[in-house]
Amino acid sequence: APPPSPAKLYRPNRYVSLPAELDPDTFDLSPEKRRAEAERLAIRSRLKRQYLLQLNSPSPPAVIENPALIRWAYAKSQNVYPTFRPTLKTSVLGAVYGLGPLLFWMFVLKADRDRKEKQIQEGKRKQPSLSVFF
Amino acid sequence: SEMSQDMLPGPYPRTPEERAAAAKKYNMRVEDYQPYPDDGLGYGDYPMLPNKSQYERDPWYQWDQPDMRHNWGEPMHWDFDMYIRNRADTSPTVVPWHIMSKHFFIFLSTMFILFGLGAIYPSYRPVGPKQYPFNDLYLEKGGDPNKKPPTVIHYEI
Repeated sequence: APPPSPAKLYRPNRYVSLPAELDPDTFDLSPEKRRAEAERLAIRSRLKRQYLLQLNSPSPPAVIENPALIRWAYAKSQNVYPTFRPTLKTSVLGAVYGLGPLLFWMFVLKADRDRKEKQIQEGKRKQPSLSVFF
Repeated sequence: SEMSQDMLPGPYPRTPEERAAAAKKYNMRVEDYQPYPDDGLGYGDYPMLPNKSQYERDPWYQWDQPDMRHNWGEPMHWDFDMYIRNRADTSPTVVPWHIMSKHFFIFLSTMFILFGLGAIYPSYRPVGPKQYPFNDLYLEKGGDPNKKPPTVIHYEI
């Protein structure tokens, strides 16, 4: 049998997406899809019209605010705390990300210092010749 | 800004009416609108858009913001600042990702194993101690020039 074509081998994942040529959805010409595309086009053209009216008006505003940008910034900053809910998942993640690094570095640095102290007691550590202390 | 509270993002929509209102607020179709799952992580009713970077958008279409490839009023992805064209790129690759990662990790592990073996079991040609001329560098090492240096012979007949 001939080897599988590269199109069959391709698999999208979290880092790469499927190209439109390999997606069977692009070749789907059903009326539902066409109506969906028409509705999306209607929304897009309405927004474009609003934007171009503001942009090309005789006295344009100093800044044309983008409500999508305002909503995005609001959602990422001020909407997080009101919509947060302590569940099992959020508690576990909070403990892991909040306390995990702190405890890890505490133990690592303490163990390192204990090892150095033990070496100094045994006399195996080469003390530096320069010292900023007396 | 002067936007009223119902134009700003809110909590997770529970009823279909709330979903329809949220879709209208974000300028999306009701069928396209899909909020993030209600895990309490703080997403609220923000729509979950496909994780595609701005590189994948048509470069020849006349966007309102050509560098961002973004139109005015279009809902922005939650990670929009990650998907801009200076940062993460999710364009389809010529070689599939799993084949690329397989080749890379095979190469990397082979090199690591070989270097590790070379460090544990070093092999080199047999060597002897270094031989210095002029009676083992007698004068250079601070020997007395008036005294006769001890003869050093590095061969045996």
